[in-house]
Order: sequence, then C-alpha cells, then structure tokens
Amino acid sequence: MRRLYRLTVTLLRDWTRNREAVFFALLFPLILLVIFSLVFAGGSTEFDVAVQNNDIDTEGEPTALSAELVDAVEEVDPLAVHHVDANVSLEREDIEEVTGYKRVLVVPAGFGQRVRNESGRVRATVIRGTLARFNVSEAQQAEAIAGLDALGPENGTAGPARLRLLTVPDDEGSGAVGSILDSVVATFNNRAIGIEEPTATVTTEERGDAALGAVDYFLPAFIVAMVLINGVMTVPSAVADFKRDGTLKRLAATPLRKREWILANVIQQSILAVAIALVMVAVAWLLFGVTAVPGPLALCLLVLGAVAFTALGMVVGGTIRDPGSAVSLGGAIALPLLFISGVFWELDLMPPTLQRVAEFSPVTHFHRSLRELMILDSTTGVAATAAMLAALAVVFLAGAVAVTDWQEFD
Amino acid sequence: MTSDRSAVVQTRDLRKEYGSTVAVDDVSLEIYDGEIFALLGPNGAGKTTAVELIQGLREPTSGEVTLFGQDLQNHLRALKDRLGVVPQSFHTFERLTVRENVALIGDLHSASSDVCEVLAELDLTEWAGERFGSLSGGYKRRTGIAMALVSEPDILFLDEPTAGLDPAARRATWEHIEGLPELGTTVVLTTHYMDEVEYLADRVALLVDGHVEAVDSVPALVDAYAGEVTVVVHLAGGEPEAELESTLESRAQAVHRREGALVGVFDDRQRAQEAYSALQDIGTHSIDLVSPGMEDVFLELAGASLAPGGELR
Repeated sequence: MRRLYRLTVTLLRDWTRNREAVFFALLFPLILLVIFSLVFAGGSTEFDVAVQNNDIDTEGEPTALSAELVDAVEEVDPLAVHHVDANVSLEREDIEEVTGYKRVLVVPAGFGQRVRNESGRVRATVIRGTLARFNVSEAQQAEAIAGLDALGPENGTAGPARLRLLTVPDDEGSGAVGSILDSVVATFNNRAIGIEEPTATVTTEERGDAALGAVDYFLPAFIVAMVLINGVMTVPSAVADFKRDGTLKRLAATPLRKREWILANVIQQSILAVAIALVMVAVAWLLFGVTAVPGPLALCLLVLGAVAFTALGMVVGGTIRDPGSAVSLGGAIALPLLFISGVFWELDLMPPTLQRVAEFSPVTHFHRSLRELMILDSTTGVAATAAMLAALAVVFLAGAVAVTDWQEFD
Repeated sequence: MTSDRSAVVQTRDLRKEYGSTVAVDDVSLEIYDGEIFALLGPNGAGKTTAVELIQGLREPTSGEVTLFGQDLQNHLRALKDRLGVVPQSFHTFERLTVRENVALIGDLHSASSDVCEVLAELDLTEWAGERFGSLSGGYKRRTGIAMALVSEPDILFLDEPTAGLDPAARRATWEHIEGLPELGTTVVLTTHYMDEVEYLADRVALLVDGHVEAVDSVPALVDAYAGEVTVVVHLAGGEPEAELESTLESRAQAVHRREGALVGVFDDRQRAQEAYSALQDIGTHSIDLVSPGMEDVFLELAGASLAPGGELR
C-alpha cells in the first residue's frame, strides 16, 4: 500500500512537471469544448423551405385557405419560409437550380376548393356517425340525412387536397422539415373540419435546471471524449515511454509488484481525468455560463469511467512497446468507440444496424448516464452503467496484469 | 583466495535462448561475499543478459540462479530487496530531482538509510535539487549508483558503470566502487574495459559468445594465459652492448634483437625484475619492463583483442 501510494505520488509529480503533457492534456478538450460551443451556441437551427402557392384567384391573389396554410407554415420557428412564383415550373428534377432551395412545398391549384369540399364531406360523415351513435329517433335521423343528401356533390368525392414537398436527394434536413409540415397540416386539417380544441395534446416539459444551452448539452460528451482519449490513447503512450527509456526496468529491479505499477498508473491517470473534467466544467461555466455541473453521482460515474478506460489503456500499453504504435492502437480503439456511441451526434441519425451496435458500446451507456445525471438530473440507467463500468475496470485491470511484462524488457 | 568466503551468487548451467540465438550458454559461476567480481567481454558477449538473469529481470531458458542460498525464482521479491541495480541503459523519472529519485527507490525497498548521507557519499549534495533530466552523463550515472546504494544492498550490480564517462569521472566512479566491499557490499560489474577490471576486480569471468572462458583473479589469469614478461633495452649507440646482452642472457629464457633493441624474455616476473635492476646498474637509461595484462589474457582466450568501444577486432 505504501509503495502504491509512493509511486502514485511520483507519477503525478512527474506528470505535473511535464509542461507539454499538461498543456496538451488540457488543450485538446478545451479546444473541443470551445469549438463545439461556438458552433452550437448560436441559437436555434433553421431549415430553409420555399413555398409555391398555385392556388390563386383570377386577380392573382392567394385564396383564403391557401394563404391561411402558408401563414401557418411561416409561424413555425425552425422554418425559414421563402416564396416561389406560381408560374415557375418545378417539374424538372433540379429544383435547387431553379428555385435556389433544396425543399419546396407546392400548394396545388384548387387547394382551397378541395379543402372546403373535403371539409364538408368529413363534417357530413361525422354528423351521420353522430346520429347513429346517439338516441335520435328514426324519423329525425331520416330527416337529417335527407338534408345532408340534399347538399349533393359538395359532400365531396375527389379526396383531400394534396400538398407536395419537393426535395433533392442529398438533403439531410428533408426528414425534419417533412415532420414539421405534417404537424402543421394536421393542425390545419383540424381547423378545416371545425376542431379548434384538440382531443389530445402533447406538451414538452423541461426537467432539470432551467435555461440549458447547447454547451450544457455537449459538456457530458466532451468529458466522455476526454476520459476515453486520455485513458486509451495517452496512457499507453506514457507507459510505452517508461518501458522504452528504461525507467520501468529500473522499477522492476526493486520489490515493487507489477500490479502496484499498474494500479498506480490507473489511479494517477484517473485523478488527472477527473481534474481535467473539472477544469473543463469551470471553463464552460466561465465562458458559456453552463448550468449542467456534475454532482456527486456524476463525479462517481466519471471516476468509474476513468478507471475503466485507463485500465484499458494499461492493457494496450502492456501489449505494445513502441510509444508511437501505442498511440495508434489506442486511437484505433478510442475513435471508433467515440463515433459509434452517439457522443458527438444523436444515435437516431445513424443507420439502424449501427444503432444496434452502439448499444454494445460501453461509451454509449457511459455518455447516456452522464447526460442523464448532468442535464436531466435523472438517475435512469445510471446504476446499470456504473455496474458495467466497475465490471469492465476489474476485467481490464486483470487483463493489464496478464499482458504487462515484468521481465524481459528489451 | 576467496574460496573460504560464502558464495552469495551461484549459477548452475544458466542458459538463455532467444529463438535460435543463444545469449548465455551454460554459465556456472560463484560470486563470493564482499568481493568485486567482473564479467569481462566484448559487446554482445552476453554480459548484460547474464547479470539480468541473476537480478531476476530475465527468466532463464534453463539452469538455476541461487542468491544467498535461496532459489531466485521462488523468492524473487524478497531477494530483489537485497539487490542494488544500475542498468547499462540507466534512466529514471527525468522531471524528478536527484533527491526525489533516490528517495523513491529507498521507499520502494523499505530502506531506512538517510538519503542525504548517500548523496553526500557520492558528492551529489550540490546536485540534489537538480532534475535528473538536466544532469550530465557522469552525474546521471552517479545518481544511478546512489539510487542503487540507498537501499543498502547486499549485492550491487553495475552494468558498464563507466561507459561514456570522461577519464576524471571514470576515476571518481572507480574510487566509489572500490570502497563498497568495506561497507559489506558485494559488487558485480560488467565491463569491456581492461583497465577497469585490472583496477577494480578481485576476480573476473571472461565471457565470449555467451560462454565463460575463464574465471579467476587478474594475476592468476595473467599468469595462466598471458605469456611471458619481457625486458626491452633500446640501443641508441654508445652503450656497452655486449655487457647488456650478457646480463640479459644470464637471467632470461631467451634474448633476441629487434629494430635497434635487445629483447629479453622471462617466464618469471621476479627474474625479469632482477634483470631490469642489473641493467640499470650498468648505466643504461632506456629500458622497459613489459608485463602482460588482461589484454593479453583476452587475446589468448578469445583469439582477438578488444577495441575501445567494446567490439572484437
């Protein structure tokens, strides 16, 4: 125990006196933090969408219903609505070249009339259904149905008005814009058939601290990225350096145990990872006013993650002798894990197969749980993640002991 | 000379193979308590591998190492605690000071010795606060010796302790090593320097291609393998040449002329010394008494001499 403590202090002292190591260990995560924060802290994301309203009257003015629809689209914050003249032909494939936009919502001619007809048909259908459902006498029903039938062709048989959203093949935002327009049209439909008060609504409730911004959202991701890169890329390089320059051989000539060497490195690097994470939080708080500060549970999870991934780094460092190769192998492990685990983007944006693969990545769960704790102030799934990280730490520590040579140094 | 002492190191048929290469080939040695024992050989002879097998830093392919009567592999940690090691390519935490590095090794050995005292013994007090990485080669090596001595080891291993040092630093290092047996430390050093062996070693093992060719004290090896002592009289003209020649002939095994000189060959150092004195009495000033040394022993046993860099030539 005394040897472990002595060596841990020595490793920490040696690292803190290495200005280059300190500079770069802090610099990389801070650069990541600042760049992402500046990119995403600028406010809401907007999608450009052009509208071509072909439902115009003889004087060239939009009909009342088509104008109402376009107004409803313009009211949606994430959409920046532009207008395309009705006489512009969009039947060619290159709509971006013709209009300058990747998405064009086309309101067909006769839109207003179709909506009215369909509205009447739907209302009549509803009345018929209502008469059948409630206790109305057969005589009264017959009288009402005769009245509805008298409305004749206006009951509508041509079907609903069809809006078209034209997009280009490489448009990543078309899905989001389509979903938003679906929502706008659903509301418009309800109004058209006289439903002003919806029968069911969904409201979004914000949990956790108020006024969370983009930096709050990304801070857990930065911390996870730093812990992983420090553990799996920096640690193997440092260990290989000690091996190459003969320091490890000198230590192995003392009664120091191999497991004490491994544990001392894991403890030292875990302390550094937590310290760097706290520096990142402090910088994010000072520069960007983040409120998603890690609490005691998040710190515990962070320590577990740091221990697990540093132990993985010791496995890599124990396997490889050359510092350059150690960094390469560490990178080959850390970077795919980062990119596949939804750290820098939502898992939903990835193909379903990769999403399933991501569920097997410990980084996915580490990031998810840290985000739950820091942003949502929730402990959902945190216990399972903590147990997984603890188990991984034990497995990787055992692996490091197995692959680290304590003899045959050259 | 040393057989009455107890053996602190014993190796039996020690062998180390790396694939098809045999680095150490059936080495059997005994190193006695309180002696300075040298492993002499050219680069690549297997000296470092042999001592690292004894230190437990390598595992033998076959054979046994016993330290203080205990099997090394079965008591590795306990025996390491009794060893001090200065590896050939010695390095330590370069951003730690000399004092911190020495104290670290002391703590890892659970030693109770005073770090300041050890530093003072090696004239390192002035450099105690300097970072290891900023030291010159000589001071780095001296720090290595301090790190090895701080645990008060029973055996100190010095692998090429003066390689790369300037003459003054070499001499200072020799003086430190020379005094260690008096403090109860057995010293095992590997070197390719003949003068180092002649100056320091009580006994020497000559290692060539992983084999031990001979083990004994330097004088015994010289007597056994180095050939004759010669007395060379340089003739500048005007000397009583006939008298000189007869004086040599009366004592030497053989006398012959060589490029303006008379060379007397002796199989006994005492007789050569007597001839040397007699020649001086005649009034000749230019006389050399040439004694063979380890270089001659090496030449005889290895069939080649050693270059200053440690290569065979």
